[in-house]
Amino acid sequence: MIEFRDVHKFYDKLHVIRGVDLSIAKGQVVVICGPSGSGKSTLIRLVNQLELLSQGDILVDGQSVASLRGRSLRRLRSQIGFVFQQFNLYPHLTAEQNITLALCKVLSVASSDATLRAIELLERVGLADKRFAYPAQLSGGQQQRVAIARTLAMRPKILLFDEPTSALDPEMIGEVLAVMRDLATSGITMLVVTHEMGFARELADLVVFIDQGVILETAKPSDFFLSPQHPRARQFLRQLLSPLHSAND
Amino acid sequence: MGGLTFDWGGVLSGGPLEWLELGFLTTLYVTVAGSLLATLIAVVLLGLRISENPVVQWPAVAVVAIFRNTPLLVQILFWYFAGFGLLPAAWHAWINDDHAWAMAPGGVGLLTPEFLAATWGLGVFSGVFIAEEIRAGLMAVAPGQREAALAQGFGHWRCLGYILLPQALANAWQPVVGQYLNLMKLSSLAAAIGLAEITYQVRQIESYNSHALEAFAVGTLLYLAIGMVMGQVLLRCGPGRGTMVHGGRRRGP
Repeated sequence: MIEFRDVHKFYDKLHVIRGVDLSIAKGQVVVICGPSGSGKSTLIRLVNQLELLSQGDILVDGQSVASLRGRSLRRLRSQIGFVFQQFNLYPHLTAEQNITLALCKVLSVASSDATLRAIELLERVGLADKRFAYPAQLSGGQQQRVAIARTLAMRPKILLFDEPTSALDPEMIGEVLAVMRDLATSGITMLVVTHEMGFARELADLVVFIDQGVILETAKPSDFFLSPQHPRARQFLRQLLSPLHSAND
Repeated sequence: MGGLTFDWGGVLSGGPLEWLELGFLTTLYVTVAGSLLATLIAVVLLGLRISENPVVQWPAVAVVAIFRNTPLLVQILFWYFAGFGLLPAAWHAWINDDHAWAMAPGGVGLLTPEFLAATWGLGVFSGVFIAEEIRAGLMAVAPGQREAALAQGFGHWRCLGYILLPQALANAWQPVVGQYLNLMKLSSLAAAIGLAEITYQVRQIESYNSHALEAFAVGTLLYLAIGMVMGQVLLRCGPGRGTMVHGGRRRGP
């Protein structure tokens, strides 16, 4: 479904992704973790070309994304859902309009059908009563659930999550993770950058550990959490699981 | 000089009153025409300035630099004395002809060299400022908005039209309203090329019967009245009231 082939990304001379090869099958849920600045976000932003590839290629459904421009790039993007850390809802539109805008303007869905789809999805993420609310009137967790609904409305083949719970207050993380758990068990292909190791342990088919732009470990969650192979992965997990006691290690 | 004495009758009756009415209407018409032109020019300049093609960006940058950094009075004088002369002779004759259809209510001729030069000068000058202010509003939109739109499959122009510009206009609306108000007030400079607007008429009253204080007071009140009404109307028509987020804080209800 998604295949990274010797992917490199440079910002000028800064080499942030250094030769990534990774294969993700249809329906797999893959969690990407790693220390801050390791290139996790860049890696998934390359899939829908929010960042342009410097070298190598990514195949989505067998189609190379490196050479896509214009209309074909827009079509690919409309088939890949992206959920941002900062939600990025459109603040001048209501929750419902946030969901219907791209349906009508990008996919040319009739507006009555788009509205029905919006209502159904808002219900699915538990926000049926917030149809006419503006983003500023919603909590962070509610905004992120609307953002997920907006993404799902496009009926994507692939969902990319870029630290979807990192900007949320702790008590709101659960409601977003619950929606994501629903999705993870629905059979859609998901690529998730997150620090929520509970999500990874419970729902991931594969955990990818990345540091300084290189994949250091790819493992099933049971193996990764019980016996991480790479010393950097062990250190990372230690820091994540007991931040108070890892500073001197 | 003795104490202050007022003779409002010298301004608000007879010939002076008629002149003031004519001046008031002329100021209104040149403000409306100038504002429409300024809007059109702002749209064109903004389109060039934010296109992805640098070849069309540069002419827009040059136009902005020229008209933002030179005095409006000089620009109006230039359009009237030099710019008008550059038009073909046949156009001169046609513009100087009598045109009953171009006579606005109140007897103000809209197809005269003075009205055209003033409208054009005000429109270009203000259009440049409005374009830059909307562009500033555009830059104030969070980068994540554009990314979210691109990720959904929007292209450059549709992303602008549906997502970025509505937010940019809401961001920039206060200063943009200020520019339209400036245009109205700056129309007084057109007195220098003989456009018979409020300031021109006030000075005419002053030289006719020396009622300077009364004439300027009435003229000032007329500008004030137009400005208050115009400001309120534009603010009420403004976009995005009460719904936009700024820095995470809610504005409005």
